[in-house]
Amino acid sequence: MRNMLLFGFLLFKCMDTSAQEFKIDASYAYLYSSQLDKAIQTYNFTRPILTEKQPLLTNGLNASVSYIFRNDKHIKHGINFSYAYFRSWAENKNFSNQLNLHVANLGYLLHYENPEKCKGFYSELIVSATSSLLYKVLNDEPFVYDETLSKSFGIGGAVQLKLGYSFQLKNKCYLSPFLSFAYTPYLFSPNNEAVINQTKGLVCRNWTEILTAQFGLAFHVRR
Amino acid sequence: MDRRKFIKQSTFLSIGGLFIPSVFFNSCRKESLFEDINYDGKVIIIGAGAAGLYAAYLLKSKGINFQLLEANTSYGGRLAKLEGFADFPIDLGAQWLHGKNSILGDLITKSNTKITLDDSSEKYWFNNQLIDKLPKDVNSIFLKEENVPDVSFKDYAIQKGFSTDYQYIVENIAGDSGASASSISAYWKMKEEENWVSGDDDFKFQETYFDFIDQQIASAVNDKITLNTVVKKIDYSQDGISVTDTNNTTYLADKVIVTVPISILKSNDIQFVPTLPTEKTNAFSKIGMGAGMKVFLKFSNKFFDENIIGGSVCAAYADESIGKLTNQNVLLAFIMGDQAEYLTALGSDVAITNALLQELDLMYGGQATASFISSHVQNWTTNPYVKGAYSYSTVGMGDARKIAAQSVNKKLYFAGEAMNINGHHQTVHGAVETGYREVIKILNDIVK
Repeated sequence: MRNMLLFGFLLFKCMDTSAQEFKIDASYAYLYSSQLDKAIQTYNFTRPILTEKQPLLTNGLNASVSYIFRNDKHIKHGINFSYAYFRSWAENKNFSNQLNLHVANLGYLLHYENPEKCKGFYSELIVSATSSLLYKVLNDEPFVYDETLSKSFGIGGAVQLKLGYSFQLKNKCYLSPFLSFAYTPYLFSPNNEAVINQTKGLVCRNWTEILTAQFGLAFHVRR
Repeated sequence: MDRRKFIKQSTFLSIGGLFIPSVFFNSCRKESLFEDINYDGKVIIIGAGAAGLYAAYLLKSKGINFQLLEANTSYGGRLAKLEGFADFPIDLGAQWLHGKNSILGDLITKSNTKITLDDSSEKYWFNNQLIDKLPKDVNSIFLKEENVPDVSFKDYAIQKGFSTDYQYIVENIAGDSGASASSISAYWKMKEEENWVSGDDDFKFQETYFDFIDQQIASAVNDKITLNTVVKKIDYSQDGISVTDTNNTTYLADKVIVTVPISILKSNDIQFVPTLPTEKTNAFSKIGMGAGMKVFLKFSNKFFDENIIGGSVCAAYADESIGKLTNQNVLLAFIMGDQAEYLTALGSDVAITNALLQELDLMYGGQATASFISSHVQNWTTNPYVKGAYSYSTVGMGDARKIAAQSVNKKLYFAGEAMNINGHHQTVHGAVETGYREVIKILNDIVK
C-alpha cells in the first residue's frame, strides 16, 4: 500500500511538472438519443398496464477531469476523462423500474485561450472514445435473468465543444462556468433495446447517436 | 463587471440553465408513442390467440374501435387448459414461459403471478437403456455454432459425427422447435435466434399459461370477441375491407390484422381478394409448420423420471406435475413432427395411448401399463383452425418471415408467432410482440 501511494505521488509530481493546468468540473447534463427514446416510447406504449410511464433518459450529472500540457501558445492540448450518469425511474404498484445509463469518455482535448483578445474566455474541443453501460433495476434489485444482469455495453466516439469563462479565485486557482455540447455520432450498443423493451431488432438499430448539452462549473489549478 | 457581480450572475444563470434545456426539449419529446392518436376507423382482428388478444388490448387502450373474430369455440389460440383430468389445471397448449426478459415477464411481475423455474433433470433413452448422460454432447452443436450450413438438424448432426444412435435425441431437439429433425434448418434456426433476448430459463405457471393470458389480457377485451366465426374471405379491393365468414356474414373494417397460424395461410383456407402478392404467398410456403400433439398420462405410481429424452415413439416425456401443487402423477408426452404424424395416423386416442404405454413399459419394465389410470390426447394437428404445433425454420427459408410479416396496401397486417422476425417465434411472448408491432404499424400508417 505504501509503495502504491509513493508511486501515485511520484506520478502526480512527474505529471505536475509538465502540466499547465488541471481542471475538474461538474455539470448538469441533458441527453437526447432518438434510439433510446424510441425504445422507451415503445416500452411505454406496449405496456398500458403500467400507468406510471417510464420517463425518457434525459437528465443526468456529469463530472470530468482535464489535464492540459504546458506550452506558450494560445492553443494547448491535453487529455480529458469524463463520466456521466442518467437515470429514468417509474414507480408502479409491484413494478418499480429504473434504467441507469453510465457514459464514460476518454479523449484528447485542444484548449484555446487568448487573454489579449478575450480575457478569461476559453474554448475546448475534445475528441474522445466513448463507452456506455445501460442496465435495469426492477423492484430495487438489478434485473437478473439466466443468472446474468440485464445490461448493455456500448462503444463509440464523441466530439465535444466546451465554452467557458474563468476568473481567479486566489493564486493559481480559478473557477469557470461553462457550457458544453457533445455529439456521439456512433455508439455501438446492440443490447439497449433488449434492456429497455426486451426485444432486439424490433424497434432500434444496433447503434445510436447521442447529443448532450451540459451546463456547469469547473475548478482549475494553473501554473 | 466586478467579480462579485459576475459570481452572482453566474450562479443565477447556472440554476436557470439547469432547467431551460430540459423544459424546452422535453416539450417536444413524448414519453410514449401515439399519445394524441385519434382514429375513428375500425380494425378487425382475425384470430384470438396471444397476438390477436394483445393487439386488441392495445387498441382498446388507445380507444380505437375493433372486433376480434375467432374460429374456435373459445379464445386463446394455442393456449388452452384442461380441468378435471387431474387435481390441477393442465396446459393443453403452450405451457412454458421461455425466459423472463420479455413483455410477459413484466406482466407476470406486475400482476404477481406465480411461476416456478423448471430446472428438472433429464434422462436419456439411448441404446435401449436409460442413462444420465450421453456419451457425446449433441445439444451443444445446435447452440450458437459458427459456420453452420443450411442443412437439416438430422444432416447436420450426421456431419458432426453423431451416428443414428443419436437419432431420437436429435429428434427431441428439433421437437422443441415443433419440427422433425429432417425438416428444420440448422442454419436458419440459429440465425433467427441471434436476436433471442428473453433468456434461456424455462418457467411454469402455478396455474396455467392460459389463465395468465386470460386474466391479464383477454379479460380486458373478451366482450369484443366473436367466437365460432370462421373467416373464409377477406376482400380488400375497395376502400374498406369486407371480411366474410362461413355463414356468409360480412364484417366491415378499415384495417385487418390477420393472426391465424401459418398453416392456415399456407393451405389457403382464407381467400384474399385480390390475391396476395406472389412473393408473400411464397414466403408463407417456406415457413414450416409441423404436426404436434400433447398426451397426458395419469398413473397411480410415479415410476418415471422428470424428463425422458430420446424415445422412438415420443422423443420427449416430462413430468407434468413439476411446479404444480399436486401429489398426482401425470406424465406429458410432448410429440412433434414425424412422431406426431405417425401417432395421428394410428387413428384413435386409445391407439396413441397404447403406443406410448408400450414405449414406457420398455423403458421402465412394464410399470407404465401396470399403473396406468387414464389419458388425454390433445392433437393440435387435427384442430382445423390450427393444423399443427408452431412454425419452424426450413432449409432455404431465407428472409421468408420478414416478407410474410409485411403489411399489404396499408390494409392487411400479419401477426402471430410465425410472423415474429426478432428471434422470438414459436413463443407466446413472440406472438404478443407481433401483436403490438402490427398495432404500431397501423397507427404509423394512420399518422402518415
